[in-house]
Amino acid sequence: MSNDIVTRMGDGERVSLSAEEIREDIQAGTADAAQRGGIPELTAQEQEQLFDIIADPSRIVSVKPGEEVIVTDDGCTMSFYSGQDGGGVGAPLSRMQAVLTYERACGADTTSLGHSDYSYKPVKPIINFEANDYYNTSMMTTAPFFYGAQPNLGLYFQPDGPCPNAAELMPMGKIDEARRAQEEAAGHLTKDLVFVGSRLADVGLEGLNFDTSGSAGDADFMAALQAVAELKRRVPDLPILMGASGEFILGMHGEVEYAGTRLAGLYPQDQVRIIETAGADIAGVAINTATTESLPYNLARAVTFVKAASEASNIPVHANVGMGVCGIPMMEQPPIDSVTRVSKALVQLGKADGL
Amino acid sequence: MGMHIAHIMASCMGGIRTSGDLVAWMQMTRKMRIHEAKAYVAEKLGVGIIDLTDEEIMRDIRKDLGIGTVTSIAGGPKGIRAKYRIADLLGINIRSVALFKSQMGFPG
Amino acid sequence: MSNDIFASAADAILKGDSDKAVEAAKKGLGEGIDPVILINEGFIPGINTVGDLFGSGRLFLPELILSANAMQNATDVINAAIPDGQGQSRGRFIIGTVEGDVHDIGKTIVVSLLKANGFEVMDLGRDVSTDRFIEEADKFNADIIGTSALLTTTMEGQRRLEVELKKAGLKERFKTMVGGAPVTQRWAKRIGADAFAENASAAVKMAKALLEPA
Repeated sequence: MSNDIVTRMGDGERVSLSAEEIREDIQAGTADAAQRGGIPELTAQEQEQLFDIIADPSRIVSVKPGEEVIVTDDGCTMSFYSGQDGGGVGAPLSRMQAVLTYERACGADTTSLGHSDYSYKPVKPIINFEANDYYNTSMMTTAPFFYGAQPNLGLYFQPDGPCPNAAELMPMGKIDEARRAQEEAAGHLTKDLVFVGSRLADVGLEGLNFDTSGSAGDADFMAALQAVAELKRRVPDLPILMGASGEFILGMHGEVEYAGTRLAGLYPQDQVRIIETAGADIAGVAINTATTESLPYNLARAVTFVKAASEASNIPVHANVGMGVCGIPMMEQPPIDSVTRVSKALVQLGKADGL
Repeated sequence: MGMHIAHIMASCMGGIRTSGDLVAWMQMTRKMRIHEAKAYVAEKLGVGIIDLTDEEIMRDIRKDLGIGTVTSIAGGPKGIRAKYRIADLLGINIRSVALFKSQMGFPG
Repeated sequence: MSNDIFASAADAILKGDSDKAVEAAKKGLGEGIDPVILINEGFIPGINTVGDLFGSGRLFLPELILSANAMQNATDVINAAIPDGQGQSRGRFIIGTVEGDVHDIGKTIVVSLLKANGFEVMDLGRDVSTDRFIEEADKFNADIIGTSALLTTTMEGQRRLEVELKKAGLKERFKTMVGGAPVTQRWAKRIGADAFAENASAAVKMAKALLEPA
């Protein structure tokens, strides 16, 4: 058996696999997604198309002309000037310069501004500074210009916030206390999300992004959903993109609901429905990359989940394609060969409306 | 950073190089799925869907309509002036434009 | 009859029912089932199922905690029936998030699942210095030091621990395990950690494997 197709592992390591091994990994990946999510596997034809994308000998692959989609920006402009933690290259650019460079030099479909912490809570005390930067930049941009950050419920627990730390209470068996702490924290989070969104809406906010919602569990996700609904009530014309943080909503609380649906354990096809119910305009999905599995395995999983979400949704579905998500290898500089294969597969086979 | 550029090259519509911004506005303001959004924009521009990502076609259209070109043209609308025209062209509400209009005393 | 007891033990763990778990443990011992067999055939399959369900989003952290407590109470009863020194502690595991990193949600899940699987766990919390890891591991007489890092910049804390353990001549005394979102098997190998765990279930499996007699 020849090992002549060069691909990657989930941690980015370059490996050579035979065609048979790649097909086996694709089959295993789609089967795993189907079993976990209770969704259909990719058809034999789709698996073969995915094989062709992965096995393409070119370093870079792309969708066909006419099949292109929207690439929404989730903090990318910050990576012009930020450092390693944000995947940033540390170029000496101002925020506005970064946004305009991304729009004009890179041809981005949308751009964004965000606080360097990339959480909403720290924005609250500096909202006037952020509103000022947003407003000034929005006068210069032509493409849609979002403000984006993560809800990040974790910042509301002691010692960083006012609520007892659920992550400490839970292992002590103090389940009721931990749940109450999460509910209290979610209340604070929703208020802050609405506060920041409303204040930015006052200065002509074109779009708001609740990125990586649910990273601290189901209460985090609930807070973001509630904020979407409240903002839509207050500012009905404010476009909102709400993205999830993983292939299922982590049940740190386990019982919180939104619109009668228990949030813990929701997979992408149900995440997009609940995001739609809250009133968001675009839903984001994120599928975990397993670093010990191959790109064919991870990408087959991601495509299977994204396709199911896309079919279930009435609003545009954008797949999160950052580091370690949706098949992108988990490393600081994801290899371009993998990145473009993920990009193409999620659009062509996952039927994503955007990335 | 390079990852974002790779995604743009592999599957992005091209922003203001072509019509990616216009299609994005339709997803944001009307919750349109990608095919519906493209069809809407193509109809407004009077071109085929395949043309939406054709730089050779979109360059002239953008220049003629004054909706912003990727290369900087002295006197050519960009920024809020281009968005003002985009909102009008697509028949949508762009919130920054609405604020600008109210500040300038233009009719909504 | 044993099979019924094994099934009710597993079911009690799955439901997080401490009373029933203890009842099954007592009943099993009362009927003369070997304590080790009782744990391995009854309770362990139950907690394994809990881990699998948690890993696929079908069971959540509070239920996991209840199951862990039920497991703990049942194993306490069983261990009391085992002669001194032959109890069923899986091992002693000290864990924390490395210095400069304040993320603790993933670590919390690992702690819960380790406890559920019979490990004695000391959680040092977050932003833990290398020196403190070593001091506390010494005091706790840990078998394994587990470090979590969520940022590419704080991962260096995991490397620092390896360096300091070697300098202090303690590398052979403690096994080390690394985890966290940006952490990979290759990173573990590069810094000389003994194991890498991608998620909480993997952490339990790797911890068991690390402590198995060679």
